[in-house]
Amino acid sequence: MTVVNQRGSLPGSPRLSLRPSLVVPVLAVAFAAVVGLSLIAMIGVSVPKAVAAFVDGTIGSPFALAASLNRSSVFALVGFGFVLANRANLTNVGGEGQIAVGGIAATAVALYGHVSGSPLGLAFVLPTLAAVIAGGLWGGLAAVLKVKSGTNEVISTLLLSFIGVWLLYWSVQSPALLRKPMTSSATLPESLEIPDATQLPLLTGDYSFPVHVGLPLTLILAIVVSVILSRTTLGFRLRAVGLNPVAARRAGISYAKTVVFALSTAGALGGLAGALMLLGEQYTLKDGFSSGYGFDGLVAGLLSRGSIPGVIAASLLFGFMRSGGINMEMVAAVPTALVVVIQGLIVITLAGASLFIEKLERR
Amino acid sequence: MSTSLPRSVDAVAEPLLSLSQVTKRFGNFAALSEVSLDLRDGEVHCILGENGAGKSTLCNVIFGVHRPDGGVMRYRGAPFDPAGPADALGQGIAMVHQHFSLVGDLSVVDNVLLGRERGILNRKECARQLERIAAEYGLPLDPFAKIEELSVGERQRVEIVKCLIRNPRLFVLDEPTAVLLPDEIAALLDVCRRVAASGRAVVLVTHKLAEIKKVADRVTVLRGGRTVATSDDPAGDIGALVRAMIQGNVEALDSSAASILGLEPVTHVGHEPAAKTRIEVLQIDGLSVKDSQGVTRLDNFTLTVDRGEIVGVAGVEGNGQSELTAVLSGMMEATEGRIHLGEIDLTRRSPKEITAAGVGIVPEDRHAVGCVLGMSLAENIYLNRLDEFTRFGFLNRTALEREATSLMQRFDVRARGPAALFSSLSGGNQQKAVLAREMTLPNLSCLVAAQPTRGLDVGAVAAVYGHIRDACKRGIAVLLVSSELDELLTVADRIVVLYRGRVMGSCPADPKRKEAIGAMMAGQPQ
Amino acid sequence: MTSELFAVFLGSSIRLATPLLLAGIGEMVSERAGVLNMSIEGMMLMSAFAAAVGSWATGDPFVGLLFGIVSVLPVALLQAFLSNTLRANQIVSGIGINILVLGATTLAYREIFGARSRAEIPGLAKVKPPLLGDIPVIGPAVFEQVWLLYAGIALIVIVALVLRFTSVGLAIHAAGAEPKAVDKSGLSIARIRYACVVFAGFMASLAGAFLSIGDIHTFTEGMTRGAGYLAIASVIFGKWRIGGTSLACLLFGAATALQFQLPALGIGVPNALLIMLPYLLALLAVGGLVGRQMAPPSLGEPYRR
Repeated sequence: MTVVNQRGSLPGSPRLSLRPSLVVPVLAVAFAAVVGLSLIAMIGVSVPKAVAAFVDGTIGSPFALAASLNRSSVFALVGFGFVLANRANLTNVGGEGQIAVGGIAATAVALYGHVSGSPLGLAFVLPTLAAVIAGGLWGGLAAVLKVKSGTNEVISTLLLSFIGVWLLYWSVQSPALLRKPMTSSATLPESLEIPDATQLPLLTGDYSFPVHVGLPLTLILAIVVSVILSRTTLGFRLRAVGLNPVAARRAGISYAKTVVFALSTAGALGGLAGALMLLGEQYTLKDGFSSGYGFDGLVAGLLSRGSIPGVIAASLLFGFMRSGGINMEMVAAVPTALVVVIQGLIVITLAGASLFIEKLERR
Repeated sequence: MSTSLPRSVDAVAEPLLSLSQVTKRFGNFAALSEVSLDLRDGEVHCILGENGAGKSTLCNVIFGVHRPDGGVMRYRGAPFDPAGPADALGQGIAMVHQHFSLVGDLSVVDNVLLGRERGILNRKECARQLERIAAEYGLPLDPFAKIEELSVGERQRVEIVKCLIRNPRLFVLDEPTAVLLPDEIAALLDVCRRVAASGRAVVLVTHKLAEIKKVADRVTVLRGGRTVATSDDPAGDIGALVRAMIQGNVEALDSSAASILGLEPVTHVGHEPAAKTRIEVLQIDGLSVKDSQGVTRLDNFTLTVDRGEIVGVAGVEGNGQSELTAVLSGMMEATEGRIHLGEIDLTRRSPKEITAAGVGIVPEDRHAVGCVLGMSLAENIYLNRLDEFTRFGFLNRTALEREATSLMQRFDVRARGPAALFSSLSGGNQQKAVLAREMTLPNLSCLVAAQPTRGLDVGAVAAVYGHIRDACKRGIAVLLVSSELDELLTVADRIVVLYRGRVMGSCPADPKRKEAIGAMMAGQPQ
Repeated sequence: MTSELFAVFLGSSIRLATPLLLAGIGEMVSERAGVLNMSIEGMMLMSAFAAAVGSWATGDPFVGLLFGIVSVLPVALLQAFLSNTLRANQIVSGIGINILVLGATTLAYREIFGARSRAEIPGLAKVKPPLLGDIPVIGPAVFEQVWLLYAGIALIVIVALVLRFTSVGLAIHAAGAEPKAVDKSGLSIARIRYACVVFAGFMASLAGAFLSIGDIHTFTEGMTRGAGYLAIASVIFGKWRIGGTSLACLLFGAATALQFQLPALGIGVPNALLIMLPYLLALLAVGGLVGRQMAPPSLGEPYRR
């Protein structure tokens, strides 16, 4: 089973002009937004009220803004991983599971790794590294299956996602694993709260605007991934393997190494995303931890058509959409599922438009 | 011979099919411009032209695969505008395509039945029909054999029978002889004659003049998508037809290229041996390859190629040549045997190690193995030597493109520039770029070239031969794998013949031995 | 394990395998024709929802089933349009459809059922086949199943016969193996592939309806929980053959049944591990046992002339 990459992967960062690859996603988002607004009207909610609630939930307060930005960082990391693996024509749809195992590893190290007293910020760096490694291994597993027995990575990363999510469920259900000591039958199936020292430092140090160091880290990684893809021999190898794995092998580029690098890096970025979620926001591990963020990151990656700035734009969009959606549900009684509908529409529209975009770009 | 539009000799009967001023564009590229042609009942009409002249497009327009952008077609006295292959088939037009379109894991019968019958399949009845056709035209086939078990020649027979069983009024064959043995070619030409003799029309696309001499009633020559000549007496007009096909400069042609065209008798061009004493460069010893199903594809193959020698590997496609090249280039593992390059053991080495040892590989499937179509020309030229342009992991694109530009000049690769997308280059320029890459390895001592001139026009063929001879003069050992026997007879010093994975025999590349080599290719030891 | 418990285990394995089996065979037909239909998950969810609504609104589970079938038709046509006419990446478009259906069904569920969530919905009747059903113990435990299962088995037998003996089967096989040959023989690749995707949608709609009104008589948000992906894994594990795919579905069904069986036997295996088991098995199956050359050669590749 081969997955045909429908998108051309051109090197370099995209020029800012009215290129179809930029215009069409914007149109797709606009189309989906219009459908979303019509749906709001259809279920009998006042559109202005819903929109006001939406805006209020995104930028209405410093706290809302910070929550949106933190969430966007998580989506962007998963999206970067998707774009990087996709350069090698690999489709990583396992973000959800990679976030989950990242969360498990970060929790385990933060709670039981005796890292609280470590100097130089190692208290939160070590749990983060653990999450990166766990995510990397999770992605690498799909790579090994692909190289050893030709297993399609879409199927394997999907199945690994389910497994990762249930692994998390297991680890917070079982007192032998990460569940907090059961004092009564009412003890919730979740971990203890991680020690203060292991929590990610906030940029302003002010809990009313809780943007943590994950945001600058994500921006640095955006540059790193961009440079890898466009300027390095590694990026060249990814592209060669993606476009023609046989010719790449003949030219001495190792298919196995490239695939393992691509998928484990994507996984590591997913694991890092999990660490940011746990160490930066949630502080306790509980069932449903990954909250579909892996899929949002995947959609951001798809939407970007291979460009890192595109991932950032899409991640911001979805980050704010999520926050707005939550507030819409609380204030205007519009189910958050509406946001999911809009995302689905965006993916379908873009998938359907790819032939069209290619034709326009070839002109 | 007329270089104007074809004139109808007997104006009484309307031709079976006539095209006038037919144009077909792909994007900005006109594959056919104002092509006119008429086909009469009972004739074999050959279409002659180089690669890229528009022959296949012409066939596909007739068969309804492509719709013309301009011009008029008439068929059986009525305007003709087929909506698709189904429409053309329904009107009695059948076509054998250049590339087989058979389903490998289905039987012959199932392939014949595909698209012909509705509802429950009657395989027995179909087998009976097949046997009848087989007897009538001399095309024996096992109706229940799976396609993937058949030889290339047999597969071609299936394609032909698939058409004949429909009893077509017009039978189109697009370069059907490219992959056949001499005997099989004769049989195929015989089928064409028989079909024409029964009053039906045959269109035969070819670039081989010998076939035209044998079978054509009339010839139309295409060049650059235009009709440039027609002839009612092909055998008499051969010289003029060739001049029309390659635009006149026959005299300037490399004599080996001319003989491949059949313009001159095949002569061994040869060259002075580079060294008086033999120095063995490439030693292949008892090489055997089994495929994933456990079938032996290459069986105890032994061969040495000396410094400055060109050894040709002849054989009908599918007799182990692909496996031989794949093993030599590190893309496939040998089950047994050893490969040495001088003192270096290259058995089961990776492609990277083989390249580093100084073996250049021109793979038979250029697009699948030889290049990355979606990357630039410069990137393709240095695909295997990126490390030279890498500092601290960063790729120096400026240096890469500068070096590529100089190689483009040396190897006459014509493109918009080093940054041009590889897929935008013509086949000839793509092949020259592959040669540029493989022949400039710093320590090149051996070159393995498989089907290096396939699909190229005459000018590019001559350039490829020139580069191979240059390599040889530099003392490089060349292994040339080709299914075109004339090519090997012209270029190589020595020929070994592969049949079902075994060496059937070997002899000097002497045109007088052509028949003996042909017999070996068919599996008869000499 | 007593024979009685084993019979119960067998019965629930079959029951849990049924949606996989129905969806898996549909997916197999689609893949044999060359279309990787990732939206099987969304199709099942759509039908599970529509069947629940139909059954709840009319009180007649058969009408619910019809609702389910009809609701999937536009989804299947969308998938077919994207993957054939627009030549979209089949994986991306499939995932997009799954996201859309998840959002749409959740939204609609909240709107329709809102406060009345977890409403009991009339379900499809169970039947006991005449002879097998009369066997003591085994009869009721194993063979008393929702009639949709037996209808599905009959459908699968018909599919097997059509694939083997008719021109339709030949065309489907060729469309996945060598689409050029199909095109040049005068048949339409687009028609074959559209039809196969719609058929896969039909089978998935039966599977989805089975989930909501056949098995548990209610709808929950995102209730397919990856069953569609398991169906795809079972096609791979079954090497694109009816027998193999069916066996793979039974295996996954049995793995799911262990969830309920082992605790009943007092065997203390973590619940999460058991829930994970089918996915783990599927991963091992697609990762370890299969040769890659078994897939239809043109699987996932849109055809262009």
